[in-house]
Amino acid sequence: MENTTIQPNDILTKAETLRGTLSTSFRDEIVKSLYSEAEHIARRAVKTAKEKKYDLDQKIDRLVTSPITGLPIMLILLGIIIWLTVSGANIFSNAIANVLFGIGDWGRAFFNQIGMPWWITGFLWDGVYLGLAWVVSVMLPPMAIFFPAFTFLEDLGYLPRVAFNLDWLFKKTGAHGKQSLTMAMGFGCNAAGVVATRVIDSPRERLIAILTNNFVPCNGRFPTLIMLATVFVAAAFPPALTSFIAAGTVVSVVLIGVAFTFLMSWLLSKTILKGEASAFTLELPPYRRPNVMRILYTSLIDRTIFVLWRAMQTAAPAGAIIWILANIHVGDSNLARMIADWLNPFGLLLGLDGVILLAYIIAIPANEIVVPTMMMVYMGAGMMVNGPGTSAGIFDLLVHGHGWTMLTAVNLMLFALLHNPCATTIITIYKETKSYKWATVSVLITLGTAFLVTFLTASFARLMGWVI
Amino acid sequence: MNPWIWFPILLLAATFLPRYGLLTLYKDWRSAKEREQLEDALKHLLDREQAGRHASPESLAGTLDLPRAKITRLISDMESQGLIETRGSQLHLTAEGTRWAMHVVRAHRLWERYLADEARMPLSQIHNAAQKREHTLTEAQLDELDAALGHPTRDPHGDPIPTREGKMPSAESQPITARQDEGPVRIVHIEDEPAIAYEQILAAGLRLGQVIRIIERTPGRIVLSDGETEYRLAPTVAANVGVTPLPESEIAKTNAVPLADLSQDQHGEIVMLDDSLQGFTRRRFLDLGLTPGATIHPELGNFFGDPRAYRVRGTLIALRKDQAEQIWVRPV
Repeated sequence: MENTTIQPNDILTKAETLRGTLSTSFRDEIVKSLYSEAEHIARRAVKTAKEKKYDLDQKIDRLVTSPITGLPIMLILLGIIIWLTVSGANIFSNAIANVLFGIGDWGRAFFNQIGMPWWITGFLWDGVYLGLAWVVSVMLPPMAIFFPAFTFLEDLGYLPRVAFNLDWLFKKTGAHGKQSLTMAMGFGCNAAGVVATRVIDSPRERLIAILTNNFVPCNGRFPTLIMLATVFVAAAFPPALTSFIAAGTVVSVVLIGVAFTFLMSWLLSKTILKGEASAFTLELPPYRRPNVMRILYTSLIDRTIFVLWRAMQTAAPAGAIIWILANIHVGDSNLARMIADWLNPFGLLLGLDGVILLAYIIAIPANEIVVPTMMMVYMGAGMMVNGPGTSAGIFDLLVHGHGWTMLTAVNLMLFALLHNPCATTIITIYKETKSYKWATVSVLITLGTAFLVTFLTASFARLMGWVI
Repeated sequence: MNPWIWFPILLLAATFLPRYGLLTLYKDWRSAKEREQLEDALKHLLDREQAGRHASPESLAGTLDLPRAKITRLISDMESQGLIETRGSQLHLTAEGTRWAMHVVRAHRLWERYLADEARMPLSQIHNAAQKREHTLTEAQLDELDAALGHPTRDPHGDPIPTREGKMPSAESQPITARQDEGPVRIVHIEDEPAIAYEQILAAGLRLGQVIRIIERTPGRIVLSDGETEYRLAPTVAANVGVTPLPESEIAKTNAVPLADLSQDQHGEIVMLDDSLQGFTRRRFLDLGLTPGATIHPELGNFFGDPRAYRVRGTLIALRKDQAEQIWVRPV
């Protein structure tokens, strides 16, 4: 009897030969047939009335992406969000600070009453607790305003239009248009911005977005910028305009940061991350009515609390270190003062001073404590302090007391914008790239840029004879 | 105990540790290097054979950039492994050697496909990257890569990828006299033997890569046209012209324009996605609904004029100019 069973191998061989006869576009045909089937079903099941909303969408789109009005609208929205954050945060910050520092006073008094040694009281309440309280009061209000506003635009569907408007610039620098979305996220928190780069699917372009995200100043760096803008820039204008001038200054600093982002993206594309821009596709979804509950949940629970919790974890040890530095006395000086004096020549070279550098070294875990640390050392206090209550008071302390000039203010703004990422961001970069190398590179390029730029502006200003 | 005793102990450990010791690392590095040289040599021999020339120790030394002493050792190595035979000063691949060389070529071209399509590396860089990676994969891994890429038949430069059995797909050319239909064909081969026929073909003005169609066929002559000029050849001469039918995509392209050329709100029907668009990007485009037959029109521009947003199947999709140039549409 003849036995013609088919062996698995015969089928494979047959498939192999048949594969060669397939038209190269057979995959296109499969997708095409899937789509036509879907269309067929949709035609039977879905009735479309002529929608008014669709027309409205188109009208809005023509406006926000138009060659004439597109970019100005974008800038105005950015300005509004920053102004809301700057002016709103001020009010809440004071209220929260009053409550939290009140608790601190109470705790200190209680410890004194039960006879705790001074150094335990100091370490716990003036170090750890104060660090925590400071970060919460400085960081929470801007985040609680910024993140909902940002999430609102995100929910509305406006953010992809930003990516659409700016993509050409990113293409020219070898980067991806969606990098603008991660930069927008970076305003809230650079660590969150780094995580957000997951939307970019080309590894090279994603790394560029990660390494340059820090050039967008985050909420934690706003207080420094706002303080400088208020004391040194807005002071020259009528008080009614203060918040607008401060916001305008912060917007300008932000734009400088954006320029550095493009410059660095381009440099990276030409050197260590060589390559051309890859394919870019971006869906522009229809506008949706924002869902208030979802906005509040996403922005407050997912983002604000999450970021705040991470900042608190790093702020507590930082607070402890600050207190120790301020309270270990050597002769008639303390450790903080000594380190600041030692750093001073290098600081002056950059148009800054030793105290500022010391504050930035201590503030590696959380940038929020830069200003209070500076004030502490300048005023010779044993713990972080708010500084004089008024702009004029701060101006007097810095300029007449410690030799600040306009150059110091400008360079501090630049340094705050360009310097290394905070510890949380560095750790996040490591987690996202799984590479010590890229985490190190992210620090080197930002710190290098900050040193170089401040050194150049300081030298230029001295050369021109504007400052000594 | 003298703490210095630890120094030699650590040194010994660092050298002879089974997996991470310096000695093992060095040996691994050496054997990888040797495999690389051997495979490059096999590839060179295959290259030469396919070009109809013979490889010699000199040509090998030139290609690999190695001193003669090392080449001699390499050749005797390959001979003892049964990969090559020497006849006089000529080197020939054995069946086993050919199989191995084909494996390396397959690895190289599959890597190029992967780097271009999935890793989206620029075309100018893929050759060098593939050159480094082609030595690292086993046959089984290569099969996996082949399947993951959807069994491609050509690398991004258009060269054929060998099958896993080690066969190079032929260039699929046929003599123009064997063509029955009138469709357009591309000249891919002009036989240089006999020389007299070759001269005539060149004198008539035909060249490689030209797209032609047959417009008249009699026992005495064949008339070809490229749309402007007519070429007359005797059938015996024309038999030396090898052609291949134009891919459907080429035919479709002839009356289509790139999507990037549509003006604002001008509607078009997608004819096809360009052949240069492969892998990840092609899949992404198809997923977005950019399939042949769909109607599409540019709806939004911006300050820089690039990218533009296109309305297709009711959704708005932004594409850069470079991508819009790879989508062929027929204005409607």
